[in-house]
Amino acid sequence: MKKRTWQEQILPLLPLPLREIMAALPPAVADSLEEIRLRVGQPFMLHSGQGEVWLGHSGPVVSLDEACRITAADLQEVLLQMTEFSLYARDEELKRGYLALPGGHRAGFTGRVVMEGNQVKVLRDLNAVNIRIARQFKGVAVPLLPHVYCAEQQRVRHTLIVSAPQAGKTTMLRDLARLLSNGDGQRRPGFKVGIVDERSELAGCFRGEPQLDVGMRSDVLDGCAKAEGMMMLVRSMSPQVIVTDELGRAEDARAVEEAVNTGASILATAHGQNAGELIRRPSLAYLLENGLFERVIVLSRRHGPGTVENIYTGQALQEWLRAGRECSVD
Amino acid sequence: MWIKYLGAAFILAAAVMWGNLQAAKLRDRTRELEEFRLALRLLAAEIGYTATPLPRALLEVSRRVANPGVQFFLETVWQQLQEPQTADASAAWLAAVQNVQRQLQLTAQDWAVVARAAAGLGGLGREDQLKQLAAAETQLAAQAAQAAAVYASNEKMWRYLGALSGLAVVILLL
Repeated sequence: MKKRTWQEQILPLLPLPLREIMAALPPAVADSLEEIRLRVGQPFMLHSGQGEVWLGHSGPVVSLDEACRITAADLQEVLLQMTEFSLYARDEELKRGYLALPGGHRAGFTGRVVMEGNQVKVLRDLNAVNIRIARQFKGVAVPLLPHVYCAEQQRVRHTLIVSAPQAGKTTMLRDLARLLSNGDGQRRPGFKVGIVDERSELAGCFRGEPQLDVGMRSDVLDGCAKAEGMMMLVRSMSPQVIVTDELGRAEDARAVEEAVNTGASILATAHGQNAGELIRRPSLAYLLENGLFERVIVLSRRHGPGTVENIYTGQALQEWLRAGRECSVD
Repeated sequence: MWIKYLGAAFILAAAVMWGNLQAAKLRDRTRELEEFRLALRLLAAEIGYTATPLPRALLEVSRRVANPGVQFFLETVWQQLQEPQTADASAAWLAAVQNVQRQLQLTAQDWAVVARAAAGLGGLGREDQLKQLAAAETQLAAQAAQAAAVYASNEKMWRYLGALSGLAVVILLL
């Protein structure tokens, strides 16, 4: 079956005038599109490999005066199209501020939040929508495989990938999951991979079906809290590798520890640009200082998203953490 | 002479049919209102238990109701939702009310109650959506009870009226 392009998946969700503008995008912008930004009263804006682009009624413009302005009605229409005219069907996702879209794309929302106790009850009066275009870069994690997979023991090392936002953590983690799940058909066997995809970013599930390739031996728990999801996988799917995105909460650390004790390997990501930032978060500090992660891979955008800055292991990892701790104390 | 009798028989048959038709309209109105109630309950179940998105829920419910008129109404709402110019589900529901009302036996008052089910459709959270559908279903129940009472009291009257008016015309003509 022919894979549908992002244009076929996203454009029907936009109001007709915006759809027509987007359909006439120059190929250089369309091919490297990362985000579609809609803010009430602000210019229709895109972020692509070419940088920020403002759109007027006949395509990209250089002056703000010529840019097409977004209205509140545009955002409401986008929301209704994305939910298939059924807010009730997606209200749990909306409370978390995003919606998963067909094709693995995602839309984030901001607006007026109505709280009930400490919980978000509803997000209404939207003021901005950010549509993030999912792109799968198959093979980007191949250079990391020798560091993550231990050929002698035929096991996957507990690995944490860290970087600032938008530096390619999730893309790298998804590709690692795919590579480990599929195996290479020769010396590296395929592993049973359990993916806890709390924000539907890793597998890009839409109605429960992964829209991005995460490998043939991968089981995906979509929209499930990480800690609960890891335990569910351990109990029900006997994973050899557990993959999850953005560790950070105390319960995540406890679940990782328990999962490791069952014999599963952990592949995870965390926000942070250096050891100091990681150490300042108690749950990550606990996991790192107890030597739970055998490898820490640091990514950046220096040469584009997914640039591998460093891979720490053993003594070097401990020294890096120590330097981070001293830095954090200062 | 036989032409006279044949004519009289035709007149009588037509009058009886007219009377039966009026009675059938009352019966159909009651059935349609009951089917609309059932459709709203099924829609609420689709929303409440499986959070099925509205377009799929409408098709699913249309398959489960027996009345072809109500099926057609639900399919028309679904069709309206597929139109690029449709702004929201309320608009689609109201457009279907406009398009379908001549094809069913409901009164203007009945349609006003059906139209009220459009308020907030698809634009509310699950609990509020269920409350709103329950309120619409309660109003339909009252309307259906009233329609059933009208049917019970007027059904025979229309049948007799048809036959008797036919007889009266025949007597006058003969």
